[in-house]
Amino acid sequence: MRPSVKRGLRGLGLLAAVFVVAAAPVSPSHGQAAARDDIIGQLSRFDTAPELDLAALRQKTQERSRIRSRNEPEASKRPPIAPELQGLPGFNVDIQFDTDTPIVRPQSYETIGRIADALVHATLLPYSFLIVGHIEANGKRESNVILSQRRADAVRDILVNTFKISAKRLQAVGLGEEQLLDPPHPTASANQQTQILTVAKMPEQSEQPARLETSAPAPVKKPAKKKK
Amino acid sequence: MFRGSSILLIVLLTAPSLATAETMSFAETAALLAKSCAADIETNCRGVNLDSNRLKECLSRNRDALSAPCAENYLKTFDAIQKRVAARTAVANACAREIVKLCAGSTKETSKSVPCLTTAQGVSARCIQAMGDAGYR
Repeated sequence: MRPSVKRGLRGLGLLAAVFVVAAAPVSPSHGQAAARDDIIGQLSRFDTAPELDLAALRQKTQERSRIRSRNEPEASKRPPIAPELQGLPGFNVDIQFDTDTPIVRPQSYETIGRIADALVHATLLPYSFLIVGHIEANGKRESNVILSQRRADAVRDILVNTFKISAKRLQAVGLGEEQLLDPPHPTASANQQTQILTVAKMPEQSEQPARLETSAPAPVKKPAKKKK
Repeated sequence: MFRGSSILLIVLLTAPSLATAETMSFAETAALLAKSCAADIETNCRGVNLDSNRLKECLSRNRDALSAPCAENYLKTFDAIQKRVAARTAVANACAREIVKLCAGSTKETSKSVPCLTTAQGVSARCIQAMGDAGYR
């Protein structure tokens, strides 16, 4: 009896897991549940660094969002603006912002803290990351690109300034509604998620809190160590 | 002889509890800040992001208007973040021998040696503790 109950429970657990995975894109709160070690696991599967030109990507995204042509396909039919990002290791996380601003709501502080915990962990120290902002297909396309860039920058700023993750390890780009995370449902909230992607592995990596603190505005109580 | 080994046993039994991190994870701290101050932030500091300087300043400025839990905890949470960040610098000291001897690294670039330190054999308890406090483990 017991084993079958156990098996049944396991089956149920599996089913629940499948459900969670399936529901993740539409149900924002699951992003919060991602534990630090899950994040580490998702970000450390890395083989080759993609060729990324973020300045060019930002420009391209902005230009496409300004197209006024009648032939422009509807949001769900537009090709992704940065297909090169789609195969990268990473995860999508729900970070709540105040409407039309890059201000993170307190309910998402823990999520950002957990991302910071993962990035500090020894396993992830050799890697650097791209924070990708997205917006659902509502409102002006052009404003959405700008807002998503400001939000991605804000997440980066919090990680760098508050949790002192080395600025060298983090870049940010906003894709507006030009790379929907849930293309069949352009206005679904899943499209508001923030992505954290692994983009490089440094052979000689450099997370240097000592140096970081001197460049950061935060006053450090302990005087900087005197190293000749 | 017997006394010696029983003392050793006691030391071994208590060691794990001593080795627990003395700092709070960023997730815990951030959650505490949100739990204590979410309403205060939305009322008094709307438009201020989670920034260890600006948000702290804003909450301090509005000190008289803060809810009791927020007034009690907000400085603690920012201190806790600061403490965990500062713990990274302490690793260079606590792990100086290991960094040089076991990982062929330099204490000036501690973090380069951290992945090695977490897997190396013969790392001192003090070094392990320091890495835990910094959140490296």
